[in-house]
Amino acid sequence: MSTTTTSPDTTRPAPDTGLRGPLWVFLRLHRTPLLLALAVFVLGAALTGFLRWAAWAYPEKEFDCSDGGPCSDTFLGFHSAATLLYEYMKNVSLAGLLLPVLVGAFVAGPVVARELESGLHRLAWTQSVSPARWFASKLAVCATLATAAALTFIGVFQLGGSGMPGMWNLNWPDRGVYEATGPALVAYCLLAVAVGALLGLLVRRTVAAMAATAAVTGAVLLVAGTVRWDLVPVNTLTGPGSIESPHPTGLPVDVFLVESGLQNAAGERFFLRECVPEPLFGARCPSDVTATDWFVDFHPHAHFWYAQLVESGIVLALAAAAVYAALRVLRRRHA
Amino acid sequence: MSDTAIEAAALGKRYGRRGWALRACSFRLPAGRVCAVVGPNGAGKSTLLAHAAGLLRPTEGSLTVLGTSPAAARDRIAYVAQEKPLYPQLTVADTLRLGAELNPARWDGRVADRVVQEGGLDPGARVRTLSGGQRTRVALALALGKRPELMLLDEPMADLDPLARHQLMGTLMAEAVEHGTTVVMSSHIIGELADACDHLLLVSGGRVRLGGPIDDLVAAHTLVTGLAPASDLAPHTVVESRATGRGTTALIRHEGPVGDGWDAEEPSLEELLLAHLRSPDAPPLLAPDTTARAARGVAA
Repeated sequence: MSTTTTSPDTTRPAPDTGLRGPLWVFLRLHRTPLLLALAVFVLGAALTGFLRWAAWAYPEKEFDCSDGGPCSDTFLGFHSAATLLYEYMKNVSLAGLLLPVLVGAFVAGPVVARELESGLHRLAWTQSVSPARWFASKLAVCATLATAAALTFIGVFQLGGSGMPGMWNLNWPDRGVYEATGPALVAYCLLAVAVGALLGLLVRRTVAAMAATAAVTGAVLLVAGTVRWDLVPVNTLTGPGSIESPHPTGLPVDVFLVESGLQNAAGERFFLRECVPEPLFGARCPSDVTATDWFVDFHPHAHFWYAQLVESGIVLALAAAAVYAALRVLRRRHA
Repeated sequence: MSDTAIEAAALGKRYGRRGWALRACSFRLPAGRVCAVVGPNGAGKSTLLAHAAGLLRPTEGSLTVLGTSPAAARDRIAYVAQEKPLYPQLTVADTLRLGAELNPARWDGRVADRVVQEGGLDPGARVRTLSGGQRTRVALALALGKRPELMLLDEPMADLDPLARHQLMGTLMAEAVEHGTTVVMSSHIIGELADACDHLLLVSGGRVRLGGPIDDLVAAHTLVTGLAPASDLAPHTVVESRATGRGTTALIRHEGPVGDGWDAEEPSLEELLLAHLRSPDAPPLLAPDTTARAARGVAA
């Protein structure tokens, strides 16, 4: 036939990428979503960099508005470039919580369940690569990409928010900020890969597996964010205080203040406006409301790393358990 | 290299509540044959091929392929499932590249390219844009490019027009003959495969009812017509008999010459298969070299 000379020779692996075997196949099969994710990251990094630069290049000006002149400048409709950066970073910190959810849904649906749903595993598993190796190579690539995505996100977050004056409500223990500034985000992304792989194998329906994985990953993030600071024991500081001077002094900087109030000679705690001068309805007050000391429960900044490492450890253990379960399911169902 | 392509010993597979797809299935397929696996829909043909491809784990019994487990022989087996699964987002060229990447030790790109080119397929066309026949061609190219010792094809020609079927079967047979590949093809239409195949497995009700070289199987049976009742046909094994206007027509496995008063003729392959499908209680017949060795040990 005349087409013989024009057809490319598919025997020779293309020299352009240098990628081989299952890795090439994985990247080729999921080229579109991966390129899309890459584009989102590049755009996000560029936008963050621009806003950070703008906040530095256009500082808030001092205006004298006593004579009826303009009282403030605006930057793209915001009070200032720094305000815009702050609002943006607040949203970015919450978007960070979406990252593990998206990673999990991607692994559960397009990577694992779709192949089983459409019968494509019967193509993939009857080449020279065993199902276990095929599955493991997919997991390895997904774990690597998820780690890279999490680290990139952490880097972009640092680019936008590190040491920024005026980041007054983006504190280290906040939901979103906490995850986006430490190894916990990497751990959660790896958990999402493992949970996605397990549920993809079990559910075997693309959309259902994606939804289930998103729900499980989201629930773990939600619960962890809610109970995290209750599980880490607080530090307590006390000092002589009275109803007239109830405020703690000498507190270290950059702490996460959990609770502060007064206590009587017996060490029973109460709060100023709740129990003194008159106890409010329903308030639990000791009988003796003569204050001798103030107290404050707080997490010092050092607890950030303590929580990050313990939490990452637990999450990684869960991820390992999910991977083990997934491999068991694969072995049991398929020769 | 093993002289046995597939050997099943009391193979059984149960799908949850749907019951047994295969039960007490024993046979042996010598290497180098071109074998048709025929039987009605739901007989267990696909289940049998999926076991041989290492995609399913037997509920009971065992199955060996090329002298080892299907998993261990994975790189020497090619399998094309009934739906011709191919990644829809890949181009034809990328699909063949996938074959090269996942079969690095065996891939023969020239064979795969030739099969694709003979169909006039554009290597840049995406699989999702191909017709059923073109998909079958790509799936076969992927299977042939692997240079397998055993090809398992589940209903390979089902969605092809007669011309494409003839073309592809020609390509397949040329490759198989050149490399001594064992080919196993399933179909519920025997006519589709009779010309190409030299060996037959009739699967029905989850068991192998007939197995052996097609010529031997046909020669072992006789179609007889006579006035006497079917009970007069002893000691022959009567597979099926029915009363006709002038007496009795029966398909028998003859033990020695057929007696006087009976007109005997050789049945067609189709008559042979239909008679067995209509008579599920007829004893199975496996030609000597197609009996599973384990089962023969028990029988002896």
